[in-house]
Formats: sequence, C-alpha cells, structure tokens
Amino acid sequence: MMHLSRRSLLAWLGSGAAGLAFSAQARAQVASQATTPLPSFTGPGVNPYWNGVNPFVSYPQKLPLLRMTDRGIQLETPRPYFLAPFTPNAAFYVRYHLDLIPNAVDLSTWRLNVEGNVARPLQLGFDELAKNFKAVSVAAVNQCSGNSRSRFQPRVPGAQWGNGGMGNARWTGVRLRELLASAGIKPGTVQLQFQGLDRGPGPQGKGADAVMKSLDLTDPALDDAIVAYLMNDEPLPMLNGFPVRLIVPGKFGVYWTKHLTWIRALTTEDTNYWMAAAYRIPDTPRADTTPAKAASGRLKTVPIGHVRMPVRSFIIVPDGSSKLPAGLPVRVQGIAFSGDGPVVKVEFSEDDGRSWLEATLGADHGPYSFRTWEHTWKPSRSGKHVIAVRATDAKDNVQPDAPVWNPGGYLWNRIERQALIVGAAS
Amino acid sequence: MIRKRCVGIILLAAAGALAPASTALSQATKIPGLVEEGAYDAGNLGMSMQRAPRNDDAGAVYAVGAWPTYTPPLADGDGKALVQSFCGICHSTTYITMQPPLPSASWEHLVDKMIRTFGAPIPRPAAQAISAYLKTHYTPETRKE
Repeated sequence: MMHLSRRSLLAWLGSGAAGLAFSAQARAQVASQATTPLPSFTGPGVNPYWNGVNPFVSYPQKLPLLRMTDRGIQLETPRPYFLAPFTPNAAFYVRYHLDLIPNAVDLSTWRLNVEGNVARPLQLGFDELAKNFKAVSVAAVNQCSGNSRSRFQPRVPGAQWGNGGMGNARWTGVRLRELLASAGIKPGTVQLQFQGLDRGPGPQGKGADAVMKSLDLTDPALDDAIVAYLMNDEPLPMLNGFPVRLIVPGKFGVYWTKHLTWIRALTTEDTNYWMAAAYRIPDTPRADTTPAKAASGRLKTVPIGHVRMPVRSFIIVPDGSSKLPAGLPVRVQGIAFSGDGPVVKVEFSEDDGRSWLEATLGADHGPYSFRTWEHTWKPSRSGKHVIAVRATDAKDNVQPDAPVWNPGGYLWNRIERQALIVGAAS
Repeated sequence: MIRKRCVGIILLAAAGALAPASTALSQATKIPGLVEEGAYDAGNLGMSMQRAPRNDDAGAVYAVGAWPTYTPPLADGDGKALVQSFCGICHSTTYITMQPPLPSASWEHLVDKMIRTFGAPIPRPAAQAISAYLKTHYTPETRKE
C-alpha cells in the first residue's frame, strides 16, 4: 500500500532525497489506535470497554449497530447515541431469544387477542387500537436484564452486553388497563400472560418454541403499562416489535413483549420455561450471590419481574477517544435512570470516586425516562485521570461501588468510571 | 486533476523503493506545532454499504426483507459439523463465538440445557461430541482469540 502523501512527495521532489529522514517518532504517530480494530475477544477477564467487543453491522431500518448475535438477532447500541435523552429508533438496541422473527406483517389480518379468563374476548385490529381507545404517551427506558453482563467476574454465559443493551423512547399507545376493562377480566385471574409473533423452531412446550412472560394481575407496574403502536412518534421498527409492543415502565425489557399478539388472563401461575426457569434472580439484596452458592442448588430464586430496574448512570462523553488538554474545561455529559422512582441526584467524581460533586440535571421527561446530566470539569494536571458518576433515585437508592454476581448475569448497576488521558497544554 | 495524477504516477514509482510510513518532516516542521500531516492508511476497519430505499406498495403488508447474517467462522476440529448442524437448527453459531471462554462444566451444562429445556433434538452420542468440541476450543485454557 501507499503511504506517501502528495504534499510529502512534493516536498521530497523539491528538496531532494535528504529531506526523507523518516524518524521512528513519525511512524509511531501513524500507528495510532484510531485505525486499529478493537480485539473481538476479551478472554475470561472483565470486558473493559463501554460497549461489547463486536463489529458494526447493518440491519433493515437500523443504523450500523454492534452485532452480538445474528440468528436470533441481538444488536447493541453504540455509546454516542446515549448523548441524547431519547434513543433514535434506528439506533435502538435489539434483543430476541428465538430466531423466527417476523419479516412481514399483514395488518389486514393481524389481530391483538385478549383472551383466557375474560368475559368478552377481544380481537382488535391495528386501526381499532388507535380509533377506539384513548392514546397515551410515556417516556420510558427499556433495558435488557443482562445489560452489562460482560462486567461479571467470573464471566457468565449469555448475551455479552457492554452498556448498550438499553434505550429510551417516547411510547404512544393504549393503556393496558383500558384494554383489560374492555375485555372484562373475570374473578380468579392471577396473572396476565403476554406473547408476541416471534417464536422458534423448538417443540411445543419447550423454551425454543415460544417466549411467554407473565405478570401478576395486581402488579402496580401494569397501571402504567401501555400497548404501544408508536415509538418516538414513529411506527415501531420491525426489530423493536412492529406492529405493537407491550411497555412496562420500570421493569426490565424481557417483559416488554415485542409484536404483542396475545394477552391471556391466567387462573393459575404461569409455569412455562420463560417464567419457571429463565430470567430468575436470587432472592437476596441486589440479587447478589456467589458461584459457590449458585452451584449448591439451594439458591432461592424469584422471577426478575419481582424487582424494578435499579438506579444507574453513565458517562457518555468524554469517552477516552481524545486526549484532553490540561486546563481546558470539559463538558462531561451522560444519562441516568431508575426503574424505581425518578433520579433525583447525579454526582460526579474527578478522583476515581473518592470525592463527589453534584452534577446538573437536564430536562425532566418523566420518572421512567433517561435524565441527562452534565458537569464542567477542568483537569489541572496532565496524566491519567479516572472520572466516575453515581446516581440516586427518589427512594434514596444510591448506586453502589461493589460489583454484583449472580448466575444469570442480571441487575448490574455498579458505579461507572472513565479513564482519561490529560495532556500538557504548553 | 492532471497534476494530481502525475504526482500519483511518480509516487507509485517511488513507493516501491522507499515505502515510507508517514509524512516528510522537512515540510511539516516549517510550521511550528505541526507534527504530521497528509498521512493516510488502508481502511482496515472496513466499511458497510448503505441500504437502497424500499419501494413499498400501499397495501396492508409491512415487510422489511430478509434478516442478514454475520456469522464468524468456528474453530476447525472434530465435531464442528455436528455443532453447525444441530446447534444451527435454532440459532447461528455466533452464540458460541460471542461467549467469553467458559469452563468445561459450563459447556456441558449449556448443551444439556439446550436439550432438556429448549427441546433440541440431539441424540446422546452427538451431544457428547458437541460438548467435546466446545471444551476443546472454547474454554479459558483452549481459546486464545
């Protein structure tokens, strides 16, 4: 390959070969990290990067996202998209469990079914949802239960997310409770089961057949739940659940059934694989346990739907891709959220978490939304700096500085850090 | 344009003999502070193509086309074909390469889980060969990249 620039050659032609004294220093400048691919494999240690170590790939209706798996499809949102409080639909992360994902949906025959222990089973067309029911909107974060799983040590199997298994959108649709009232939920109903069009090739009754998730009828989260036909005021991308998706503000994404097609009133507790075996967490504070206890087989577990998403906050910029000149103010920006009441405080640390200063919060888009934050930081000395952020929610939950461990790789919410190099400015 | 092309030809002739990695400091150092300029390199991070716009009709079918696949190669070795055929019934083998290196016991457990709870129709001898393959290539001791 050719590395000589045009200007260089002109200089060389003008000055003679003596001008071509290429030093090792000049070569080192060219071999910068910016043109070297990230390793695609982290080894058994903690993934040290903000996102997972996967390549950019293109999918229908999507910008290049980070491919975790390609059949079923799991795509991670790259860090820069979290600079805004609302994640663009084209950049919103994707997480499926099984591989029969709809490529085309016919709205002339598709119906949303409300069935089971109800007085009046419903079969609603897409247009009827918008015409016959009041439209409501909520800004809410959808986060994968296993977001940041690649931070676990020892590592656990599962989708190896960095921090990009999350997104925030303004969801518009019909209140779930209004649909339920229309169908007339009968006494004796204990849970509501949700199932979408996506499924797998496995035998009926097994995990690879269909994903079904259930919530208790009395769960207060259902009061805020909606069946959304708009995402950021646009139709949902197919990979985010077209034509409608269940929105359960505050709960992890596994309950936000995509391509929602069946809502079933159950008279007994759901015992399908996706409730009885998968997505279960230790019944301990923060769902924290040890590999030894998990291996003992005596761990008491509950569905992850029993908890709300713990409070988290993130540094989006500076991201370490640029060296920062000493003495220059830097606008540190990020987001915070909690599934358990709004974020009330975000704190910034310039010294690796030893001391904290309150950061400035951005606009309030509601209790379930990302809340942006910022803090102007002026590094005075050159060298390596580690900045950190932590958030507090309305229930006084503060992000801890201790890691969490459970066999499923769920509920990571440790304080986030960013290492930065500050250079001399003179 | 012409001048650029001429320079390019001279450059081609010179590049083979000299192959310098970067810029001529003689020119750059004439401006205080400018350390390097005009350095280009091969696009070794790759590129990805834009999608053409869709030509949808006005009917009630909403289609997005086939999902693309991006499946990295599996390590060569005994059992690879069994892994591709049996595991591939339900998912791409990206589910294997995406994982961190996992201990042998974890791979045993995962193969068992696929059969028992997900319903994978894998006969016992094949399941043993699949476990052996995963343990040979994808544990902390055996997987290095």
